[in-house]
Amino acid sequence: MARDFGEVMHHIQMKKGDVGRYVLLPGDPGRTDMIAKYFDDAKLVASNREYRSFTGTLLGEKVSVVSTGIGCPSTAIAMEELIMIGADTFIRVGTSGGMQPEQVPGELAIVTGAIRDEGTSLHYMPPEFPAVANTDIVLALRQAARHTGARYRLGISQSKDSFYGQHQPERMPVANRLLERWKAWKMGGAISSEMEAAIILVLGSIYRVRAGGLMLVMANQESKTDRTVVYDLDELLRTSMEALKILITQDREAGKQAG
Amino acid sequence: METPEGLQHHIHLKKGDAGRYVLLPGDPGRSEMIAKYFDNPKFLAQNREYVSYSGTLLGEKVSVVSTGIGCPSTAIAVEELVAIGADTFIRVGTSGGMQPGIETGDVAIITGAIRDEGTTLHYLPVEFPAVADPDVVWALREGAKRIGMPHHLGISQSKDSFYGEVEPRRMPVDKHLVERWKAWIQGGTICSEMEAAAIFIISSIQRKRAGGVMLMAQIFEAPPQTDEEMKAFMALFDVDRAIRTAVEGLKVLIELDHKIHTP
Repeated sequence: MARDFGEVMHHIQMKKGDVGRYVLLPGDPGRTDMIAKYFDDAKLVASNREYRSFTGTLLGEKVSVVSTGIGCPSTAIAMEELIMIGADTFIRVGTSGGMQPEQVPGELAIVTGAIRDEGTSLHYMPPEFPAVANTDIVLALRQAARHTGARYRLGISQSKDSFYGQHQPERMPVANRLLERWKAWKMGGAISSEMEAAIILVLGSIYRVRAGGLMLVMANQESKTDRTVVYDLDELLRTSMEALKILITQDREAGKQAG
Repeated sequence: METPEGLQHHIHLKKGDAGRYVLLPGDPGRSEMIAKYFDNPKFLAQNREYVSYSGTLLGEKVSVVSTGIGCPSTAIAVEELVAIGADTFIRVGTSGGMQPGIETGDVAIITGAIRDEGTTLHYLPVEFPAVADPDVVWALREGAKRIGMPHHLGISQSKDSFYGEVEPRRMPVDKHLVERWKAWIQGGTICSEMEAAAIFIISSIQRKRAGGVMLMAQIFEAPPQTDEEMKAFMALFDVDRAIRTAVEGLKVLIELDHKIHTP
């Protein structure tokens, strides 16, 4: 595997200089083109397997979007390789399901931590280690949501390995376990269910890089009445761009103070 | 659970005794020391390892309740405090620093905790993260900045065995302990203590706010040898530094709450 910074990374097919330090991580490669439209001067830099990447600028600072594919295994590879080529700030942007009855489809979930309901992060850390978001990213996302006027809440996300295990637990041989754990996550206060945040946060801790996540709550299976499904990603993406700008500005000020 | 007199079974407090804001030291001997920073402090109760005082800060009722060592007794304190109306918890205490670059006397502001203990498994499966409330983290960081206290944000290891950490080699499960300690350090963990995980997990379940500020000692250089070195160490390894940070952070949080008019 490519370790030399001059080399092209094995899976994401990028080398040092191809990405900014700020990277948005959607799951779906089909969404990267749309997300890149929110950057200035975006250019496609690579597209291999489920990894599709654009780099552009915000406030004159280099920023990138790289899709991870579904699930923690492919996401871990993307993040490992992005760190090797110099990225240090990661925000997952994507869709999720609500988990508290009062959540309204269309609202945003700002991830403070993730349930490690997946296998990949166990290859890095024992399960007792918490998947925690970077505090500055959490606060920047909240400030951004206040700017854009998005309805939002802060909380814990369930990062699961099985989509159908969540949506159709009854047909799984381990149905009782799935249902019992889902009930526990709800009682614990989890606000979104998705499939990638845990590994992004755990790798953030291990490699001392900043990581967080902003999820659109598309639908809420726990709501007694509201069967709405929201597909429009515009508010999610405007809020994530606003958060990146807040972080870029803060980083520049900190750089000035340090320098 | 209440006594026939209407007191919570272990902490011996009833509704109205404690404020919504509660500082949680481990050591019952520190409750009085912390209460001295309150305006009009009053002793409330002492039962087992639970010693409590209430007073005010910025006109708001605040309390301190000791938890004893470990998550089992801490879980009881938090459960009973929630039952009588407390909703904001700040653990304050001492710990070992776990990263190079941490100096003795620096404080740790905890963002999450490793659930290296047994109590929280009685509440939630192990994969659920023990996470601090972002507003409490923010307020403690602002508090540390206001008083010029050197601080680090990060994850804490909440363990059940003190001697398993400091003398792992003599434990039958030494390999397990040593390997996990290495993993926690590689994961960026900044301090090791024994109560935060339970406070965070119960707060998630009960929808309350929690955080923690811990005094740290550096553990990567040789321990103090001479009397003079020991004196210098003890001057810095003074829990008062964590207490002052917690009290200042609590004031920042009270100001924030007054500003946003949350009930």
